[in-house]
Amino acid sequence: MVFPASMCSNAQLTGLHPRSEVLIDLTRAYDRGRIGWAQVEAQLERETSQVVELQRKPGFDYVSDGSLAWQDPLRAVTRSLAGVEAGTRYSRWFDTNTFYQKPAITGEISVDGFREEDFLRKDSLPELLKWKVSIPGPYTFSELSENKHYRNKPDLLLDLARAEREIARRLFDAGVSLVQISEPCLVYQPYRESPSDGSELDLAFDGIRYVTEGRPDRFLVHTFFGDASPVIESLLALPVGAVGIDLYETELSGLHAQTSKDIVLGIVDSRESNVEDSHWIAETALRSKNHIKTPKVILAPNSDLKFLPRQIADRKVSTLAKAASLLEAS
Amino acid sequence: MPKLFPVQEIGSLAKPLWRTKGLRQSLSAQDLREAEEWAPKLGIDDYHDLAKGILKETDSRLRSKQVLELSTVYGLRLFEKAGLDNNGVGGEQQRVEMYEHVVKSVEGMEFLGHVHSFDYKYFKKAVVSSEIRRKHPIYLREFLDAKKHSRSPVKVPITGPYTLVDWSFNEYYLRKNQNPSPKQRKQEARREFLLNMIEKVVRPEIRDLVDAGASWIQIDEPAVTTHPEPFEMQLFVEAWNETVRGFSCKFSNHTCYPSEIGYRVLADYAPKLEKCSQLALEFANRDVPRLGIEENARSGYIALQRFVENGFDGEFGVGAVHVHDFDGNADPAAGQVVGRDVLESPELVRDRVVFASKIIGDASKVWVNPDCGLRTRTWDVALSKLTSVAKGADLAREVYA
Repeated sequence: MVFPASMCSNAQLTGLHPRSEVLIDLTRAYDRGRIGWAQVEAQLERETSQVVELQRKPGFDYVSDGSLAWQDPLRAVTRSLAGVEAGTRYSRWFDTNTFYQKPAITGEISVDGFREEDFLRKDSLPELLKWKVSIPGPYTFSELSENKHYRNKPDLLLDLARAEREIARRLFDAGVSLVQISEPCLVYQPYRESPSDGSELDLAFDGIRYVTEGRPDRFLVHTFFGDASPVIESLLALPVGAVGIDLYETELSGLHAQTSKDIVLGIVDSRESNVEDSHWIAETALRSKNHIKTPKVILAPNSDLKFLPRQIADRKVSTLAKAASLLEAS
Repeated sequence: MPKLFPVQEIGSLAKPLWRTKGLRQSLSAQDLREAEEWAPKLGIDDYHDLAKGILKETDSRLRSKQVLELSTVYGLRLFEKAGLDNNGVGGEQQRVEMYEHVVKSVEGMEFLGHVHSFDYKYFKKAVVSSEIRRKHPIYLREFLDAKKHSRSPVKVPITGPYTLVDWSFNEYYLRKNQNPSPKQRKQEARREFLLNMIEKVVRPEIRDLVDAGASWIQIDEPAVTTHPEPFEMQLFVEAWNETVRGFSCKFSNHTCYPSEIGYRVLADYAPKLEKCSQLALEFANRDVPRLGIEENARSGYIALQRFVENGFDGEFGVGAVHVHDFDGNADPAAGQVVGRDVLESPELVRDRVVFASKIIGDASKVWVNPDCGLRTRTWDVALSKLTSVAKGADLAREVYA
């Protein structure tokens, strides 16, 4: 296949990377009181460097530290907020066989206790990299929390958005170049008694706008676990630099859009161990341009690679890099 | 007239240390101390003869077989002691756990590694990498041992095909499928894997069990309520109906710990499950330990309503005691919190059964059981809880006398 010269592509990770079997053994031993945290920490540092190298070497524009220490995708934000408690309830993470600690909203939300290192472990890593951090968007965070304080959703969402805007600002100050706002709840809602109506989704988009306002190019919004077609126009209208969709839930043939934004194509399946062929990825990415006209397609996993054993996830990252090279070389 | 509110086991019991160690190495009399202590409590009169056989056995395969058979006897006797009417296979003593036990018996599947569940907890996940085939019977030995030693009917719990497929990676069928749409390819490959799992693994197993005399098979499908999407629920119904097709034994379904709307969705599809004589569900986990048979006291059981309204007309296995750690409070009349356990009183079980029966509208359709297997509880706690379940069912019978 011949790729047109105008196609400019790149690759990014979109969330938590899995721990290796060595790190798993160490965290288990720590959990059972058999070793101290220092041993876990040393391994975390080694593996974070490996994950960074996996992206740096093939030239990913933005590099994630893999968030190997994160216990679930919400916890770092939960810890940074006053008015939100970690709670003790574990809930299922969408339709996966993994769980998260359900945040309990018990008071007015504001940023309190923010620690840069909860989001990014970059101290011992190469300088001059453009760092990317993924956080749950305000709508998804509110949907997955237990609200014991706010009387209505708009107030809750607005305060969450305000707090996330502040978290993003502090991340940028700390040297982060790109913040991914993960919003699976915009596209996956079978967990609800009744699907959200248009006004609720409008509110959700308002929340994202509030977070990103003034710095659109420093943000991308990523959707996964559900079909992005019904909300694609609204996603593309957001003040963000890029919009992500899950290609294993969204039919390309159902998309017809044109945008000046980058499209993050969730083309590597983070929930299947089958390592995709780099040529297939490149061809499918090219085909996607028939459905979403965009200046740039960014190749990515559809969600966190944490749903895979580590060695598979690493192979998938390498395949992504090869596919990106195929596109860029053509 | 059949007995009202029969009591059944629903899953696994914890494995005694001597059972686990005995599969790896020879045992000493000291290793069997726990078994010796439990023998008189459970009325295992021939313990010393059985122990002698295990202690002198030098062939590791034969020793493992004896250990597994003995632990099955212990499980059965514990259920009998508690007063259950159906003791299953004695607490699934012959299985590692519900997923791994089956995968190890399937050619074409292998474990790939661990996947993060939450915090520092992980689970082992397998992949299908070639055509699958059952290497050898999976539950037959256990069933034959249980049948030999049980003094009451034997229900055989098995892991359902939908759950086996959902908890596995699907490389082989994805590679085979050429659909250019990633979404459609994934769905088609999933269906093919599932139908092959049924044809090549699950149905041959059921055939063997039925031929060996099994009259009741409980199909455990915890994964189904984690996928409330219509495509997945329809796939589950198709899989169930294909699994049970042509067999004449009784089938029941056990599904526990659903997502927040899991039971609502299952209720919508349950009437489409052919030959599904019983749904055994978890309710105590979502209920509060206080007495009462009014709706506000028994909020955990409201989910039953939708199953009835949607027309599921089979039996219900009603989860009447909690099986995991408990960190709340209990009214004194409803139970006692001891450490991480809540020990429900028979009166609480009675009220839960009576309330569930009111919703179901026909007390003869109600079986009583724990929410799920008691594998995370000690045997002392398991015995205490199961005894309460049996006594609570007795009290409920008095209400209906």
